[in-house]
Amino acid sequence: MGEMTPSETISFPSLAWFEMLAERMNADRARYEHLGYVDCIVEFAVRDARGPGRPLRVQVTFDEFSVTDVREAGPADAERADFTLEADPKAWREMIESIAKGKGRPGLDQTLNHLSHFDAPFRVCSADPLKRDLYFRYNQSLQEFVNASALCVTTFDVRP
Amino acid sequence: MTEIVAKPVGVESIAAYEREFGEKATEWAAILQENADKLKSGHYSLHWLDPQDSGWGRRARPSSRGLTYADVNQLPQSGELPKTATWLNFAPRGSIREPYRDRMPTVESYTVVDRDELWADNVITLYEEAKARQWNATRDIPWSELERLPDDLEKATCQLCTFLTEVEFVAGDFPAKWLYRIPQDFLEVKSFLSTQIMDEARHQEVFRKRAFAGGGLLHSAPGFEWALKAILDAPTHTMGTFLLNLLGEGLVLSIFRSGEMIAKTHVDKEIFRRCLQDEARHVSYGVLELKNSIDHAPDRGAAIEELHRFADVGELVILTAFSEPALVEPLAVLLGGGLAKIDQGMEGMAKLWSMFIGEYLQRCDRAGFPRDERCKIPKQAIWAR
Repeated sequence: MGEMTPSETISFPSLAWFEMLAERMNADRARYEHLGYVDCIVEFAVRDARGPGRPLRVQVTFDEFSVTDVREAGPADAERADFTLEADPKAWREMIESIAKGKGRPGLDQTLNHLSHFDAPFRVCSADPLKRDLYFRYNQSLQEFVNASALCVTTFDVRP
Repeated sequence: MTEIVAKPVGVESIAAYEREFGEKATEWAAILQENADKLKSGHYSLHWLDPQDSGWGRRARPSSRGLTYADVNQLPQSGELPKTATWLNFAPRGSIREPYRDRMPTVESYTVVDRDELWADNVITLYEEAKARQWNATRDIPWSELERLPDDLEKATCQLCTFLTEVEFVAGDFPAKWLYRIPQDFLEVKSFLSTQIMDEARHQEVFRKRAFAGGGLLHSAPGFEWALKAILDAPTHTMGTFLLNLLGEGLVLSIFRSGEMIAKTHVDKEIFRRCLQDEARHVSYGVLELKNSIDHAPDRGAAIEELHRFADVGELVILTAFSEPALVEPLAVLLGGGLAKIDQGMEGMAKLWSMFIGEYLQRCDRAGFPRDERCKIPKQAIWAR
């Protein structure tokens, strides 16, 4: 992927921030066609985003080469996601800032796999190991999904 | 050392071929004569215009992502996936083939005739995904950005790539060995295995290229070879698939993930990220193939016990590869950040080991093969204090 230049400002954590990533993915269909199908529902969770013990949970539905649904997960959505990718606001912020600094390419220690490999600072959770493995099957696409955050200026509501 | 002499394709082999088609199997000659006579007489058969009761006429319709096997399989005339394959030749499932059965040859190598020795409920999905997610080791890796690393890290990277080059093709040879034994009625499985062979060719290619881009290949190791032989010599397709796809590729998936994490260049990160996606597909097939086999076994308890006996041996032989200094040490050097920090790297590796084994046991459970209490691979790294 080439270098990205930000064109709008969105605060994080927010539903709007993930909606922006979805819009970018849907606008860049050719790139995602090259990477191949992504068929899963990912829950992105920002711990304590709403206050202590109150995370922001956003579920993103990937279907084929695009995102078909982005929603803040309510109690009824608990079983919907194939897996959850969660971290505290500080870890999210460091990753997003690294992606912005690299104009769409995170630093070596800020890729999704790097951050989640030891279950910290990011953690991938699923009750079903086959569903958890979807995180690996689509890893490049998911990486590029978050890399698109470089296309906006992210402001942070929660201080690290 | 035993001298290995390549067998020439000699006069004897050609004579055997002549005997086979000239004296024993002569049905083809009768068919040729009949066809030639018809063609000479100017008489058209046109029998192929008669669909008989095959159901021909209903058309397959593409779904949103094109025309998939799943779309085609919805048509009744596409033919049912048999529990036991009886068509041991190339006549396609769904074709009008019964009238010709007696005149068709038998492919004797088609020995895996039991659906539950190879089927997995996700195999069609994985086949479509495999095709859609192919990548090119020549073009999709930003090779020109590869940076020179300090000597210890470069050698560790090249050694890791040597290990991966050595092991990757067994995951091509194993499905290839069985692909040849699977009848055409299981075309979906054959198609998926073909993608796995392509994936492994690409992995071998990318790691070989990465090694040479950094200076060259380093050491192969006997421990790797025994693990690979144990996979290749597995007595059944299901057992081998368990050992290769569920255990072996599960562990290699973990190595790819670790490789991505400890990579010192963006090029290496990209390589490992691409490879781990492919590997995770193979693991998924392994889990559900094992599950299908166990779920449909006539005697579930006996089937699980047989698998345990196999795993008791297989796990230990696989462990041999994962105890080799030629694998463990370069990983530790990369994880620690240099040769001087190899001890810290080993501590990190011990942590990863427990994670790897935990994930392996979860996948076994998912397949209905509870391995926790019998697992021969230590749950803690063998060097952990």
